[in-house]
Amino acid sequence: MHQQPQYSYYAEDFPLEERPRRFLEAFAAILRYSNYGPALDTYVHVSAKCSLCTAACPVYQATGESRDIPCHRSELLLRVYRRYFTLGGSLKARFLDSYHLTDDDIDTMAEEFYRCTACKRCLASCPMGIDHALITHLARWILSEIGIVPKALLVSVREQLEGETRNTSAIPQVAMRDTCEFLEEELEEIYPGAGITFPIDVEGSEFVFFPAVSDYLLEADTLMGNAAMLHAIGASWTIGSENFDGIDYGLFYSDRMWERIIKAQVAEIKRLGGRVMLIGECGHASRSAKEGMQNFIPEDERVPVVNIMELAHANFLSGKLRLIENAIEERTTYHDPCNIARKGWIVEQPREMLRHICSDFVEMTPHGIDNYCCGGGGGTVSIDEIRGFRVMVGGQTKAEQIKATGAHYVVTPCANCKKQVSEIIEDFKLDVVRTGLHDLFLQAVIMPDGQRPEPRRVFA
Amino acid sequence: MLSEWLLWARGPMFRFAIALMALGMLRLMVLSALNLAAVARRSGDKRFPFAAVLRRTAGWLVPRRDALNGQPVFTLSSVVFHLAMIITPVFLGAHIMLWQRGLGLSWPALTQPLADALTLAGIVTGLVLIVQRILARSSRDLSRFQDYLLPVLVTIIFATGYLAMHPGSDPLPYETVMLIHVLGGNLLLILLPFTKLSHALLFPITRLVSEMGWHLAPDAGHRVAVALHKEDEPI
Repeated sequence: MHQQPQYSYYAEDFPLEERPRRFLEAFAAILRYSNYGPALDTYVHVSAKCSLCTAACPVYQATGESRDIPCHRSELLLRVYRRYFTLGGSLKARFLDSYHLTDDDIDTMAEEFYRCTACKRCLASCPMGIDHALITHLARWILSEIGIVPKALLVSVREQLEGETRNTSAIPQVAMRDTCEFLEEELEEIYPGAGITFPIDVEGSEFVFFPAVSDYLLEADTLMGNAAMLHAIGASWTIGSENFDGIDYGLFYSDRMWERIIKAQVAEIKRLGGRVMLIGECGHASRSAKEGMQNFIPEDERVPVVNIMELAHANFLSGKLRLIENAIEERTTYHDPCNIARKGWIVEQPREMLRHICSDFVEMTPHGIDNYCCGGGGGTVSIDEIRGFRVMVGGQTKAEQIKATGAHYVVTPCANCKKQVSEIIEDFKLDVVRTGLHDLFLQAVIMPDGQRPEPRRVFA
Repeated sequence: MLSEWLLWARGPMFRFAIALMALGMLRLMVLSALNLAAVARRSGDKRFPFAAVLRRTAGWLVPRRDALNGQPVFTLSSVVFHLAMIITPVFLGAHIMLWQRGLGLSWPALTQPLADALTLAGIVTGLVLIVQRILARSSRDLSRFQDYLLPVLVTIIFATGYLAMHPGSDPLPYETVMLIHVLGGNLLLILLPFTKLSHALLFPITRLVSEMGWHLAPDAGHRVAVALHKEDEPI
């Protein structure tokens, strides 16, 4: 084979020689140094092929194709493990003409493991407790070590770790500063005289702020809402000019990158003498920071990781954050980002505030820890060339859910979900406005002196 | 002739099956323990939510409402099938006599009508599970050889067990039925550690290993890069 295989996503050219051997070497090295072995060892024994996960997976429900059954997809990797890394598998291979890994198998994995959004919804449906998202996560790491990564993810991480700008959107520091100044001027119109700022490089601040960096380009209202809320509670916070990106695509394809990215973020917090890592409205950034901090950073260097909605909620409960009751009259619903909701971390906090500021808050069915993925999880939202599949197939269930609520606003506090839900609205022609929680705060936050926001239209 | 085979199946072969099953299960248990210890040692995050995982695991022992909503026939059949498979080998009067012979222990037996009901339920639900696996495309596409073999084997064991207990309604000679029953039972014991039946042992830790898989090992990425000679390669 001399031609690069084509996948539904773009990938940079990777070496084609001896791919099965190199795949197995990478697999072996990862098993040796990481903690995935015991899980695979148990899964290959107990996997019962019961098909109960079919009821949980939005991709399978939309396509009805067997290859999208979570258990079917996981078997692609489990059979490699069984054959090459278990006693039974190697004995069987010795005596019978059994399965062996081929280039075609690798190409199949490269395609299938990027149809999964790693939303983890199937974990709760598996009687054997098999975590198919963990298998997707691991398979993508192995694939990345032989050069198979969606280009969209790869170039972002390259820029973040080795590029000039040190962030995934390649925003120069000066552009970030300009944006902040512009947003400060906008805020002056909403809260005249309040003096809301975006503090940059303020050493000794309690919170060092890491939004998904794309917010600086795409989500002006979210950022302004963040700043207004932080101003209202009198938070000591700052943006670090040398690293202001909370995104960590390592979570989507490589533990090796995950660790490097969280270490770079922690270094910025240390440089500024910050005490808490504050993540903006972003699901994967919150989870990758929280789990990355706990796993990759030595105990004496760890700082607490807090999602900005948690911070707002704690202050809402203590009375420090005052919000206008029923400030929003249009019907509003809430989409749970999988990475913060599935384990029950952030489910009720935003809802308690939404029920306060919205006079007509409605839920999707199902929601909370049982929510459906928007279809853009697992980094797939960044891969524009698969939009047709991602939105029309992966997002089909979510589109139906949103439509069924009859809501005017769908609140989705996650940079990835925001992009995906916007595309769902566009492609399914839904009559809904996609927004973030803090975007709505621009109509609801009361400043300590009692100042209320000037009326303004929220940009969709 | 047949009775000699039966003696062999009940004697040496049964002892062999039990020994193989016990050794296989012991191996799985030791390997799992070593595995989990290695994870705990390597993890950066040493806190494991044991209580929560245990609660989730225990929650799976009762049929779940959402699973019932999804596939009610499959879920209910599966629960009854499991109950029959766990209760009858241990609490059937005729089996207790075997236990007493081997271990010198005995315990109260199921009443005959209850034992009959459980056995029949085992046969019916076994058949339902086999038919479901063949008819539902999603299950069919997932199935391996063992996924068909095991429910068939268990159903045969239930059916021959029932016939052996009711010689009056048995069209086959008693010894033939008994031989199939005992051979089937032996085969099931042998298969326990080597097939998905091993979840009988591993079920309590399945959710724990999933949780522990996400307890990532610090520096694993760098070590992998070194092992693959790419630590100095740009991204």
